[in-house]
Amino acid sequence: MGRIGITLKMFDNGGQIRIIEAFLAISVMFSALVLTAPMSSTPDLEKQGTLKKIGTQVLIKLDNNGTLGKLIEGGNWTALKQSMDLFLPAGVFYNMTIYDENMQRVNTQEVSNSNQEGSEAVVIQYLCATQSSDTHFYTIKLQLAWPK
Amino acid sequence: MREMERKQSSGQVILIAVLAMALILLSTQIYVFEVRMSTVHLDSNSLNDYFFAIKLGSRNVVIGSIANVSEGGSNTVLMANLDKLVALVNRQNQFGRSTLNYTVEETAPYSSGVWLFWGTDGFGVSSAFAQFTFNLSDREVDADFSYFINVTTTLTVKGNYRTMLADEKQVNVTVNLLNEAKPALASQVTLYYRILDRWLAPNASNNYIVTDYGNGTYFASFLANIPSLTVEVSVLVRDQQQILVQTNATCS
Repeated sequence: MGRIGITLKMFDNGGQIRIIEAFLAISVMFSALVLTAPMSSTPDLEKQGTLKKIGTQVLIKLDNNGTLGKLIEGGNWTALKQSMDLFLPAGVFYNMTIYDENMQRVNTQEVSNSNQEGSEAVVIQYLCATQSSDTHFYTIKLQLAWPK
Repeated sequence: MREMERKQSSGQVILIAVLAMALILLSTQIYVFEVRMSTVHLDSNSLNDYFFAIKLGSRNVVIGSIANVSEGGSNTVLMANLDKLVALVNRQNQFGRSTLNYTVEETAPYSSGVWLFWGTDGFGVSSAFAQFTFNLSDREVDADFSYFINVTTTLTVKGNYRTMLADEKQVNVTVNLLNEAKPALASQVTLYYRILDRWLAPNASNNYIVTDYGNGTYFASFLANIPSLTVEVSVLVRDQQQILVQTNATCS
């Protein structure tokens, strides 16, 4: 009778241990999934690459005939904003900051189409040299983002 | 008894297996993440755009410099501006370490990368020439890129005249403007004619007309009392890059 009682108790404990083991296994798997989830939902790098490409192409297009340098040199921020609005695809948020050779901010007005937060944001750094006879250099930081 | 022990340890085996699976899952995700990151860094299109932007900047600097020299600036302007460009480019590290170097053309007729020839035979040139080497190095990329920038504005002028009454002559001048050997438009065409030691600009009283053919060819015509047997004209043209070029020609 005593032997049967011990065996039964052991079987009871074994069941609890199984439950604990199963619970542990589930927790390990769950935590692994939880840990990897943010990694798989990191910014879509393809989307970021596309944004970078679009932004660089727009700046190159504007700079190709010296227009970009002329607009900056002339402080024509409204025209610069209009050009960006025209060349960038609809729905892309942008914010442009222009610095001179001493990294002092040049644009006195916002060259931006939104103050909203976007997703998959990228920053493009572009060096612009003017075609004017007194050559000036400007560093352009263009932030681009898709709407959330 | 042994059977029971085996059954008891099977839970631990499952736990270890689950742990191993979790590790595999994690490492796979990390690997995929790293691969995606490096793919973006090494995107050849991005690098091409970057190279193109550097080349565009170099071209703008050369254009601005020759515009400055053509307006009376020093020949050293080109090198001074290129030094600035090199310093700024070499400070960039968007894709890795950037190293830009340049050499200006010193072979005749160039001097310090500049050639200005404003002749008296109807031919004028304002030109600048520089060669560049660009290196981009990173853990994952080592790319070399060399290119040259040659900005040349050429002006040719041909003219003739027809005697009207006494010393009055109708002078016809044809002006051709080229940028890098291709027809280019002018933003300003100024013509002068010579009477003794004075250069005069024809105006409405001279029936002065300039016709723009839209293909880099301009035709100017005017009437003036010029006693000499030949008519000397001087044509000054500013192209759309603000580069000045001038030449004198004799109309007969």
